[in-house]
Amino acid sequence: MISLSHYLVLGAVLFALAVVGIFLNRKNVVILLMAIELMLLAVNINFLAFSHYRGDIAGQVFVFFILTVAAAEAAIGLAILVVLFRNRQTIDVEDLDILKG
Amino acid sequence: MNFEQLLFYFFSTVLVAAAVMVITIRNPVKAALFLVLTFFTAACLWILLEAEFLAIALVLVYVGAVMVLFLFVVMMLDVNLVRLREGFAEYLPIGGIVAVLLVLEMAIILGPQRFGLGNFPEPAGHAADYSNTRELGRVLYTAYVYPFEIAAVILLVAIIAAIALALRRRKDSKYQDPRKQIRVEPAERLRIVKMPTEKRG
Amino acid sequence: MTYPIPNLLPALPEIWVLGMACVILIVDLYAKPHRLVAYLLCQGTLVGAALLTLTGWSTGTETTFNNTFVHDRLSDLLKLTFYLIMFCVFAYSREYIRERGMYRAEYFVLGLFGLVGMMVMASANHLLTLYLGLELLSLCLYAMVAFQRDSSQATEAAMKYFVLGAVSSGMLLYGMSILYGLTGSLEIGVIKQTIAGAGSENVALTFGLVFIVVAIAFKFGIVPFHMWVPDVYHGAPTSVTVYVGTAPKVAAFALVMRLLVGGLEDLAVSWREMLVILSVLSMGLGNIVAIAQTNIKRMLAYSSVSHMGFFLLGVINATPNGYGSALFYVIVYAVMSLGAFGMVILLSRTGFEAERLDDFKGLNQRSPWYAMIMLLLMFSMAGVPPTVGFYAKLLVIQSVIQANMIWLAVIAVLFAVIGAYYYLRIVRLMYFEDAEDQSPIIAGTDMRVLLGINGLALLLIIPWVGVVIDLCGKAIQGLS
Repeated sequence: MISLSHYLVLGAVLFALAVVGIFLNRKNVVILLMAIELMLLAVNINFLAFSHYRGDIAGQVFVFFILTVAAAEAAIGLAILVVLFRNRQTIDVEDLDILKG
Repeated sequence: MNFEQLLFYFFSTVLVAAAVMVITIRNPVKAALFLVLTFFTAACLWILLEAEFLAIALVLVYVGAVMVLFLFVVMMLDVNLVRLREGFAEYLPIGGIVAVLLVLEMAIILGPQRFGLGNFPEPAGHAADYSNTRELGRVLYTAYVYPFEIAAVILLVAIIAAIALALRRRKDSKYQDPRKQIRVEPAERLRIVKMPTEKRG
Repeated sequence: MTYPIPNLLPALPEIWVLGMACVILIVDLYAKPHRLVAYLLCQGTLVGAALLTLTGWSTGTETTFNNTFVHDRLSDLLKLTFYLIMFCVFAYSREYIRERGMYRAEYFVLGLFGLVGMMVMASANHLLTLYLGLELLSLCLYAMVAFQRDSSQATEAAMKYFVLGAVSSGMLLYGMSILYGLTGSLEIGVIKQTIAGAGSENVALTFGLVFIVVAIAFKFGIVPFHMWVPDVYHGAPTSVTVYVGTAPKVAAFALVMRLLVGGLEDLAVSWREMLVILSVLSMGLGNIVAIAQTNIKRMLAYSSVSHMGFFLLGVINATPNGYGSALFYVIVYAVMSLGAFGMVILLSRTGFEAERLDDFKGLNQRSPWYAMIMLLLMFSMAGVPPTVGFYAKLLVIQSVIQANMIWLAVIAVLFAVIGAYYYLRIVRLMYFEDAEDQSPIIAGTDMRVLLGINGLALLLIIPWVGVVIDLCGKAIQGLS
């Protein structure tokens, strides 16, 4: 049978991939944003697994709201990205070096 | 291995493989497409977890809307891919090692010893007339009405912020103003000029 | 099935601010030529909200919306602080954003929505409302940092802020998911009871706690999660920096109180150790790196990092007394920071940002009055008696001594002395150097009056400082 820990470990794998993805893709903001989406997906899997094995619907409600917020977040993140690109013609994080010191 | 286990392992493998592709592939368009695959597979897993409504919402909201937004932005910004490819390979081995260590450490804590079937047995199935969507809707509009309202405000903020940041009124764009069109008077458009007839010379 | 309509009265201030933000958004469509309307409506909203909170001042603990919302003394005190700070923030911003072409109603509307987010956090009694309030605040802040669309510096800061903020939210959520899994509830009170019943010797709980502490450290900008602070403070338009650097710190205190203290107080043994390390690192790195800065916004950013380290000292004690001193510290810090960034705005004008330390040279010759205000602000930040900053530092250090951590108190005093160096350097620049720039200082009446009050308050509040400390203490005692 599939146990709770199967899902939790799957969530942990996704979470670790997201964290590593953020460090690896320091050059590319778009993929950085996608790695953040992966992180939220890992959290969602955790919540749903707990919700299922505890027979409690509150976890599903939480996931519902995370999805909402993540969509709003993606919209604002991409808007900032578009504004940034208009100013700089790049999405390379290493070019973002005006602010230093 | 029964059918449910088979499904779980199949979906998990696809999910992890697609997630690995998202973070390692260099082309943002391909990464976005792999992210679509990741979300779709996750939705399948959520159905195994009996969260049918959210699984469908994930496909509709993410695959349908958010990822299209991503693709749209990626294609709109004419990204120089060659430069983004530089210096990635040298970090890859370290990244891989870190990922494996992270997973191992987290797996020790999240493993079957604490979260196995002994502590969290497989829940009893729901009755045949149970509807996940109805249950979710019932608590959403009663017990969770306050978070629901805040979520609405968050979406409003996203609309305002995205428009305030990204909308540019271009001076050279041409658009119609129906109010002006309706109010136009014949005198503004048509001028009758009286000219004396001229004689042929 | 029936469901009673929840009692809306405790949430009246939130509803009012939210409604007014929408009104401003609509009014702006029709009131384009008289643009002061948005600003005045916005300040009116804050005054109205303050009146509503004062009339509904809580005497006990009251929950509504099915226990997702709590109305107690702490939430009232925090909300009142938010209104006060936001009133000054908007007043300081008005001229600044007008000169830089950012004067649009959206600026005020986003500011007010951010305020709603902070109010939601202050009254959160449920992991879900805590998270949603935090996100509402953060999304508004990201957008406001990027509000100067043609400034590549501001958009770069917004991007960095956004990415790190989103990662920290992910961490917080992961921690919350573990917490939910182990306790089976999202309600903070129930979580507390479950943990008290299960005992604190649970590795998985500590595992979840680590993620939560990391996320909180991110939001406060505490070493080693402070990377965004200098860049965002520096890159954002100063009128937004004064927002980011003040009220959200007080809101983050609400996060600590509701989550760490309200829900996880039985794990205090574990989180105290983590906070001690974070606090020492913050005080050390913040104060030392600040000395090397030549840009005043970056200097104030590192100063904020070190102040947050001092603030943690109050939390470490894990007693109501300690939390009270931490609350007092964070409020005093917010007021000082408000004044300091207000001064940077004051000295800036169209096409010129007074960002370098050298721009403060000879301020005494240009305006002895503002030089004195800045002197008070710097003395208070350094913790020189008899300013209120001294009392704030004294209280948190006392609370550490009560917890029998004398070594920590010694370290704190040592770093406070190191920190005094760079604050006093500004005082030296103002009084003992010649001005490079002799242009007169121009500002609106509202800003001049408020900035004067802001600076003088740090000194003139002293006779009543006991009352304020008492108020903080009572707000904390109301929790249990």
